[in-house]
Amino acid sequence: MTQWALLSGIRGNLVAYEAVLRDISRQDQSVEQLFILGDSVGLMLDSEALVARIQDPKSDELSPQICRGWWEEQALILYGLGATGDPVELRESEGAEAVERLWRSVSHATIEWIQSLDFGFQELDCLMIHGSTVSVSDSLTPDTPPLRLLDRVVRADVNHLFCGRSGLTFRVEIQSGSLKETLETLETTTTPVTKTVHPKQVVGVGSVGRIPGQATYTLYDPGSGDVDFRRVEYRQTGSHARKGFGR
Amino acid sequence: MKLAVISCIHANLPALDAVLLDSDQHQVDQIFCVGDLVGYGPHPNEVIDKIRELGIPTCAGCWDEDVVEGHNACECSYPSVLAEKRGLTAHEWTNQQVSKDNKDWLATLPQSLKFENLAFVHGSPHSAHEYLLPGINEFLALERVLSTGADALFCGHTHVPYVRTFEDATLQIKLRGPDCHPTSFTAPLKRIINVGSVGEPRHGRPNATYVLYDTDTEAVTLREVSYPYQTTCMDILERGLPAIFAWRLARDLEYAEKAENPTHICTR
Repeated sequence: MTQWALLSGIRGNLVAYEAVLRDISRQDQSVEQLFILGDSVGLMLDSEALVARIQDPKSDELSPQICRGWWEEQALILYGLGATGDPVELRESEGAEAVERLWRSVSHATIEWIQSLDFGFQELDCLMIHGSTVSVSDSLTPDTPPLRLLDRVVRADVNHLFCGRSGLTFRVEIQSGSLKETLETLETTTTPVTKTVHPKQVVGVGSVGRIPGQATYTLYDPGSGDVDFRRVEYRQTGSHARKGFGR
Repeated sequence: MKLAVISCIHANLPALDAVLLDSDQHQVDQIFCVGDLVGYGPHPNEVIDKIRELGIPTCAGCWDEDVVEGHNACECSYPSVLAEKRGLTAHEWTNQQVSKDNKDWLATLPQSLKFENLAFVHGSPHSAHEYLLPGINEFLALERVLSTGADALFCGHTHVPYVRTFEDATLQIKLRGPDCHPTSFTAPLKRIINVGSVGEPRHGRPNATYVLYDTDTEAVTLREVSYPYQTTCMDILERGLPAIFAWRLARDLEYAEKAENPTHICTR
């Protein structure tokens, strides 16, 4: 019996990340894989230290599998390496000053590392991704229309979608579903056929670094399908609070 | 009220004229167009001029977008490298031919149109490049309709007409977690109506296709209209477009350009 640890939204919060790593190491049931679903960097000035830490885990730690998040995408845009040349989303959601702050908090070396990151990971019948198969900006929440959630899972041809964009911990299970369909073409019209959907789920894995003093992440047992939302309280020390943590 | 909905004219004026005549004969009150006025065919300006002259409400197709913004098709728009090369040739030719005034007009086209409980898009509500093929997952197809807030979604892009009707849709949802609230989902009858292609059909015959829709009875009629496609084929050759475009117009879809995966969903 093994489980996976799924993290997202560290946002350069090294103290929060260390607290989560300690929590993972204390688990009775061993953790086999560590996934970081994007937003490793953020506006924190120690994003660089965080990146160095996850690039070079200690000998007794798992090597995390890391994919791009919204903040990484914004950094790529600033460096002219994104899908667009104008950081519109960054400016609109975080303000104009965030453009300069992000530029200052991410080095050229980190940009090169971000470029090497995957868009997401598919393991067994699971997709681990920051937003969704549509984009890193796609924020899935418990209030997202169920059919849209189903769309995001089916697009990826999986049964379980783990995401981090919203920062929330949630689990929406689509247990069953059906509809009747008729298809008419130039040649023929079918009689109504009942189509069903097999169980799927979308899991929000939480956010390690978004809320000061409180990290959330998710443990998943691919054998049993159990999902355990973890909340880790920690003491925010040193420079983190002074540097505008939590933006 | 009787509507006609047309799509994918692809610069084929004889085909457009035939469809307009057919819709006249059916005493249509209003025509809507869901894009792709240009591309592949030899009469881009003539087609745009006619649509503008008739004041037909039109949304942007992927070819119309590309003429305005530059070629921007994702790799899944073409099933082969050969097809992609030909598409690029057609794009460059069209881009040279379309007048500045017509390009400016194409740039004003909206991504979607609404009329009463009906929505009109080129590919899908999410992208002019997305193919709503008849084989895509039924719940995904239903999501596309619901995302518009309409009861019926008219689209084109695939060049093959069809009507998909969804009834009695339900999903049983269970939510867990501190931020969750119970919910359930049901949907009334919804439809996707793909209107086919006026000027570059891919249904097995060279005839133009479009759709008649009665807003009172909600009846849909898939129309197939014959026209002198040989005229268009000759113009394709005379105006210097790749001869394969004339060949496939006369004989239906070129084999190399049949979609390899009918359930493919563009995630661009």
